Amino acid sequence: MRVPLSWLHDYLDFDLSPERLAEVFSLYSQEVDGVERFGVASGEVVVGEVREFGPHPNADKLSVAQVDLGGQVVQVVAGAPNPYPGSRVPVVLPGSTLSDGRKLRKAKLRGLESYGMMMSERELGISDDHEGILLLDDTYEVGRPVDDYFPTGEVVLELDITPNRPDLWGMIGVARELAAILRTDFRLPEPVFGTGGERTREYGLRVEAGELCPRYDLRRVSGLAPGGESPVALRRRLFAAGMRPVGPVVDATNYAMLETGQPIHAFDAEKVRGGIVVRRAWEGEEVELLDGSVRALDGGMLVIADEERALALAGVMGAGEAEVSPGTTDVLVEVATFEGRNVLETSARLGLRTDASGRFERGLDPEAVGYARDRVTQLLQESCGGSPAEDTLSHYPDPAEPSVVSLRLERAELLLGMPVEDDEAADRLKSLGCKVRREDGRLRVTVPTFRGDLTREPDLVEEVGRLIGLDQVPEELPASALPGGLTEPQERVRLLRRLLADLGLSETITYPFGPDRWERDLGFGGGDAPGGPVQVRNPLSAEGRNLRRTLLPGLLDAAARNRSYGVRGGALFEVGRVFDPAPPPEDRREAALQFRMTGEYDAGEEVSGSRLLGVEERGRVGGLLAGTVRPAGWNMPEYRAGFFEAKGLVERLVPGAVFLPPGEAPPFLHPGRSATVLVDGAEAGWVGEVHPEAAERFGLGDWSVAAFELDPALCRPDPVTGFTPLSNVPAVNMDLAVVVGAGVRAGELLEEVSALDTPLLAGVRVFDVYEGAQVPEGRKSVALSFTFRGEETLTDEQVKEEMDRISGRLSEAFGAEVRRS
Amino acid sequence: MAAPERIEELKSAALAEVAAAGSTADLEAVRIRYLGRSAELTEIKKSIGSLPPEERREVGGAANLASGKVEEALSSRTEELAAAEREGRLRREAVDVTLPGVPYERGSLHPSQRVIDEVVDFFVGLGYGVAEGPEVETDYYNFTALNIPPGHPARGMQDTFFVDEGLVLRTHTSPVQIRTMLSQEPPLYIVCPGKTYRRDSDPTHTPMFNQVEGLAVDRGITLSHLKGTLAAMSRHVFGGDAGIRLRPSYFPFTEPSVELDVSCFVCGGDDPGCRVCKGAGWLEMGGAGMVDPAVLSEVGYDPEEYTGFAFGMGPDRMAMVKYGIPDLRLFFEGDLRFLRQF
Repeated sequence: MRVPLSWLHDYLDFDLSPERLAEVFSLYSQEVDGVERFGVASGEVVVGEVREFGPHPNADKLSVAQVDLGGQVVQVVAGAPNPYPGSRVPVVLPGSTLSDGRKLRKAKLRGLESYGMMMSERELGISDDHEGILLLDDTYEVGRPVDDYFPTGEVVLELDITPNRPDLWGMIGVARELAAILRTDFRLPEPVFGTGGERTREYGLRVEAGELCPRYDLRRVSGLAPGGESPVALRRRLFAAGMRPVGPVVDATNYAMLETGQPIHAFDAEKVRGGIVVRRAWEGEEVELLDGSVRALDGGMLVIADEERALALAGVMGAGEAEVSPGTTDVLVEVATFEGRNVLETSARLGLRTDASGRFERGLDPEAVGYARDRVTQLLQESCGGSPAEDTLSHYPDPAEPSVVSLRLERAELLLGMPVEDDEAADRLKSLGCKVRREDGRLRVTVPTFRGDLTREPDLVEEVGRLIGLDQVPEELPASALPGGLTEPQERVRLLRRLLADLGLSETITYPFGPDRWERDLGFGGGDAPGGPVQVRNPLSAEGRNLRRTLLPGLLDAAARNRSYGVRGGALFEVGRVFDPAPPPEDRREAALQFRMTGEYDAGEEVSGSRLLGVEERGRVGGLLAGTVRPAGWNMPEYRAGFFEAKGLVERLVPGAVFLPPGEAPPFLHPGRSATVLVDGAEAGWVGEVHPEAAERFGLGDWSVAAFELDPALCRPDPVTGFTPLSNVPAVNMDLAVVVGAGVRAGELLEEVSALDTPLLAGVRVFDVYEGAQVPEGRKSVALSFTFRGEETLTDEQVKEEMDRISGRLSEAFGAEVRRS
Repeated sequence: MAAPERIEELKSAALAEVAAAGSTADLEAVRIRYLGRSAELTEIKKSIGSLPPEERREVGGAANLASGKVEEALSSRTEELAAAEREGRLRREAVDVTLPGVPYERGSLHPSQRVIDEVVDFFVGLGYGVAEGPEVETDYYNFTALNIPPGHPARGMQDTFFVDEGLVLRTHTSPVQIRTMLSQEPPLYIVCPGKTYRRDSDPTHTPMFNQVEGLAVDRGITLSHLKGTLAAMSRHVFGGDAGIRLRPSYFPFTEPSVELDVSCFVCGGDDPGCRVCKGAGWLEMGGAGMVDPAVLSEVGYDPEEYTGFAFGMGPDRMAMVKYGIPDLRLFFEGDLRFLRQF
């Protein structure tokens, strides 16, 4: 809401700098987004009469004028050619400062002295018009300050009005609010006009959809002077408030709206057939609106029509059918209240927001209609020469009553945490237009209808608190003594994050929604393929339509971006959610919708999971190694992304995990270089190299890329289980090399070994795998190192016996050829 | 030559060779030559028994004295040479200490997460628990239970992503407060960190952003408690001098509602050209207020018995201010040049 300060002076007196005013308004009421200045910031503008006007001798595009400023004739150089001898013009005098910071001096322009400047409408802050000098009519007296007629400078506050305060969408409301803040008087001028025009009741008024239209007032103003433009004083206020002057009639309705916050619409009476009908649109009814668009309506939308066709989309925009035109001399002025939610829905469905709909959708006060109706009538008489009808037509079956709300001072003190005096509270509420009575130790507050947001005690507490000043509220801490802390899963996630960072990965946060490309490039079908992802219905663009089913695509995109910045590789991780569709079964759709909209569900219904939600959301920790994670150093080989690099990370996050070749690898993983990660038999996630074709599609070309994704709940970043007694008995180490088929996996060998009941075996590890010379084609040598420990020092025979059992088992199971060392 | 003279001669020769020896190996050769089993001096000592008794004493004494001197010289020279050799070895082992060490590369934690951790730790210290909830949320939890029923004008304050009928990407973490209140009895002190989504994208808004909300419901909770808590939190995150200011605001789920400003910790409001606060002296941190009685009633708490405060802050914005990051969009691009700075 743009508020020209000169306008506020119609209703109250104040003397604060615009900056201070902005601060005060922010601290006590609504946020001020900015302060804008127009016209002349300081100095003097006087009415001058052009005596002579001709071309500048030294410049093609300049003119020079001799101007009478009332007793003094000065020479002024001008850039525009439109003044003529005898025309009256505004002249800003040397020493003045314009709002853009320009300071005017007596200056020579191309060799000729210029005393000040003749001004355009833009330079005076009246409009954007900079085509020529503003020409004033004869009512402007030569030599008088222009400010006697209209302000030549303006300061506009840009207010960010919260949706609970529709009353502040008009200058009067803002002025009332400011008066309450400044604790000064507020005055509301009474609209005055004469009547005698054509009668309103020559037209009918029928409200068929009363539930969407609590009040509808209609007044006819006839005998309007056609054409022309509104007076400067009116136009400049519209302009400063951010509206474009259209013509005298529409300007008057807009002006009254800006003043009162009440939207007003004028119909050309000659085009209205029979009378005004307020009804729901017919299904499929089409209407051409003032913006030229043709809209198809439905029965949920309210139209203002005559007996034949729609004339306006109620509360949103007028239609072309009864549009006011420059030749209009007779209008029907609508001042009405439409049901806010309906206007909101209509404007949302049509994607059409206007100054009017923005006001109506917040819910306007029907009691405000009368003042606005009279005010616009006055303006139509003053600036368009119209004759108002004596009568009005009105549909207002249930007049709004002011509500009465009780305020307990002790409750105010409890909520605010500061003392609140009885008189202070009463005074602050009265300054907002409330009536206050004391009764049973509480305040009985009668709230004016324009403050529909004040319906309950805490609403009043807020008003009292903010007007006393929130700076008066002390700072205290509550005296709670509850045990706080992170839950075990939260602690685990935090440890995981720290651990991964300590292992050299950088934490990233990526968007959980992405384009169809994600799905295709991972090797799934497209976003719409059967079994596809959860989708956002109204994404900002198609780029953000599909919710991720794995953290991988975001990480791959990030890697590709880094690659384009010139890095050779890197390591990223993310902790975030992934989403899978879990549509409720057909017979639960109804229950699901009820749950989603009302939170209600039948006893026994499963709601904790995804059953009624329709989306299965899971926490994941994912990591990505890409390209050369670390280049070779003078003493270190390079660290490149690969299966075992990623697996090593997983082994650190989930000690004791089992890695199985996947039955069927996800399409985005290398089928021979990926594994399913199991923890105590439960699937915890996957690790592997990204399928080279997928990596290629994500723009990672020849980089090797390895990744993992795990359920954080199954990770054990800090695997402490308890104390195991220490043994001082020396251990015996024995190595064994077995030559087995190249397809035999090390894990199978180890499994076979651990399947033996060998209480002396304390540990085994693979320390070498070799294929090549000395090993037959199709076979490989796997070197194992065993550690044995008993309760007493082991004898050579005991160890030999164990080793024989082990090699025997391996020969038997895998046809292993054993070489002991 | 008489034995004593010869002994003297041998001693002098030995001592000279000891002094001339350049290595412990040379010294060993000297020792063998003069004190070894077949050395002349040893032979002399061995022959003492065969000397006439009057000479035995003189030759024996001279021989022992000489071998003692040589031994002494050998030992001290050995020590000298060994020390020199040890030194030499260490010298040869010297490395270029300016070469880099074995790399244990440091990763990094996301700046927003760092701020979230700091805020969470602060509240945990005050006895708060940490609550979380789903990012795909129902219309009821995200709006209606928070006193924003369908058609409420405040729904327009938050441009919403819709997933399905009655299903949205949560626009704030407030539904977590509802879920927690529905499952627990007061007193209740929680913070709710998490990702939130609004249909908004420009240089200062991203469609996803982080939030940390807090909620305290107890007997006798007042706005002054909110103010004191947020002031202490601001000092924890931004440093000891940070002050706070409340301005009136509007949220459907709080009444009274306030905006929270933190004093600029860079300039304190003294620098009109401050890069952080742009001269305003204050930084907008978030919204807060006293929990609306409609919300308390909705979750089955008695608003006459319990009051509460709630607040919401943007850790992304807080990180921008704290670390001087100019552009919000950097937060979600995974650019390692950015991430590795934290």
